[in-house]
Amino acid sequence: MTMPAISVKNLSYSYGKLQAVKKISFEIFPGEILGFLGPNGAGKTTTLKALIGLLKPEGGGGQILGHAIGRDDPALRTRIGVCFEEKNLYLEMSALENLNFHAALYGIRKPDSMALLQRVGLGDRAGDRVANFSKGMRQRLMISRAFINQPAVLFLDEPTGGLDPVTAAVIRRLIREEADSGAAILLTTHNMMEADQLSDRVAFINEGEIVALDSAENLKLKYGRRAVRVRLRGGDGEIREELIPLDTKEGPGRLAELASSPDLLTIHTEEATLESIFIQLTGRRLAG
Amino acid sequence: MNLKRIWSILRKDLLTGSRSTVFLFAVIMPLVLTFIFQVVFGTLFNPKPRLGIVDKGESAITASVREMEGIALTLIGDAGELKRKVEENDLDAGLVLPAGFDEAVRAGSKPLLQLYIGGESLASNRLIIAITALDQVRELEGAAAPVEVKTITLGEPGLPLSLRLVPLLVFYALVMAGVWIPAAGLVEEKEKGTLTALLVTPVRLSEVLAAKGILGFFFSVALAAATLLLNRAVGPQPLALLAVISVAAVLNCMIGLLMGVISKTAVAFFSLIKGAGIFLFAPVIFYLFPHWPQWIAKLFPLYWIIEPIWQVSVMGRPLGAVWPELAVALALSLALALLLPALSRRMKGA
Repeated sequence: MTMPAISVKNLSYSYGKLQAVKKISFEIFPGEILGFLGPNGAGKTTTLKALIGLLKPEGGGGQILGHAIGRDDPALRTRIGVCFEEKNLYLEMSALENLNFHAALYGIRKPDSMALLQRVGLGDRAGDRVANFSKGMRQRLMISRAFINQPAVLFLDEPTGGLDPVTAAVIRRLIREEADSGAAILLTTHNMMEADQLSDRVAFINEGEIVALDSAENLKLKYGRRAVRVRLRGGDGEIREELIPLDTKEGPGRLAELASSPDLLTIHTEEATLESIFIQLTGRRLAG
Repeated sequence: MNLKRIWSILRKDLLTGSRSTVFLFAVIMPLVLTFIFQVVFGTLFNPKPRLGIVDKGESAITASVREMEGIALTLIGDAGELKRKVEENDLDAGLVLPAGFDEAVRAGSKPLLQLYIGGESLASNRLIIAITALDQVRELEGAAAPVEVKTITLGEPGLPLSLRLVPLLVFYALVMAGVWIPAAGLVEEKEKGTLTALLVTPVRLSEVLAAKGILGFFFSVALAAATLLLNRAVGPQPLALLAVISVAAVLNCMIGLLMGVISKTAVAFFSLIKGAGIFLFAPVIFYLFPHWPQWIAKLFPLYWIIEPIWQVSVMGRPLGAVWPELAVALALSLALALLLPALSRRMKGA
């Protein structure tokens, strides 16, 4: 049986009196992407910081690649990669210098920084100062920096936040490739589309608690309501819409009735989204 | 601590520092200030009289002038070259001592002594060289001085202002490099978020602090030494002075690291340096005003590094004479080093 790369049990953290993370537990297996989905302030980044050792958990614990969580452990950090939402690159240095410097910190003697830059589409800008890079280019460089040590575990904090759709798609492809090559990935995001597309499983986090954790499909099946939306022409010629829930007693009969009606114009299936499920579970929207 | 990682950070800081105005400001300003003070108070425009001698017979006058600290002596091969150098103002004056000159003077004959004076030379330098030449000839002759000269010092006895400014200049070099470079470097890493990026790699916070401290130490020693050299205040024991400067640099770097650790932003750091500046600067004022009660200076931490530098460089004292001050400076550095880990812990999650 495969051992989880990350195993977290009852992890807690507080900022003074505010309990930001409340006894959360989860596991991530090699090659798996776990989407940590929640609005701003839900506790996603705090959880990530506690896992990578930037914050000391006040309760609970667990392990990452066999190393205990919450310790100042350089041996663990040699095996993880982190990409923050904040673009914390050395702007006075070139893209290549940034990567080579980070490689040196991992003790990598001959890093293949150029290959990494080419992989993220920055090969022709390797010698340019990062200060002259666009937001999307900086984010691609951030991602390549997180990959420099070929990490077994990746922590990605809002990796596509505020990016144009083309750059975001490039970054999602890179993340998927890393997972396919065996990395366990914790992806924090408040973008439900991203979580839906990328994640093998999704954890909904709200006010420091995981309120649901499963694959997107299972969550939709479990919490989503089956329904169809029909468009009808009324007697007065006006077009109206009707939502027919299929899980109610009357629903299937009403659908059959309308299906044979000459007034029926269109039928659309109504699929639950992660956002609708999140709202259903927490009463909060994901954005904001 | 991993030395390779410390070296990597240090090298990165040197690379980014050379592209940073704040860093360059910290490195260049002490030298600029020294230059300005040299121009205003020092010897840049008041050089030693430059005397060239053509000596055909190994005269005792040449040997005697060579011993004089107040005259810059150049030996020239022939009279033609000497005249050219005086004409071109490469020398203030030129003296031609023919073969057998000393013997002729001692025998009581009156040999010809040619003294060329540069038209562009300073009047004070001409006077010094002329009197020196006459004195030397008289000494050679073995004659008694025709008059007795009584020297009366006017004004307050003490060191010239240019020397009393040395502690100020050295202080500035030490603080700009020793305090400023580690503190500004740390604050910049915090503000730009790059510190967090470092701390998720195998780098430990102590290694980041060590790299910043070493860089500050290196520049602090180099700039303080350069300042003393430029001010001709190295003193008779350069190695002892280097040891004293090193202790001073350590204390300054510790203060710099502490300031960097407790300042969250550049604005907070500037406020701190403004607030603490007078506290750091205070002992220097007592060297500018020696009639003030000097014991007050001892209340300030940087007195314990300025005083040994003053004693070794300006007063020429040996290292053994300043060990109590150095011990206090080292004790203060150690106390700050012990404070650092506790204060730096909260930097990690910021």
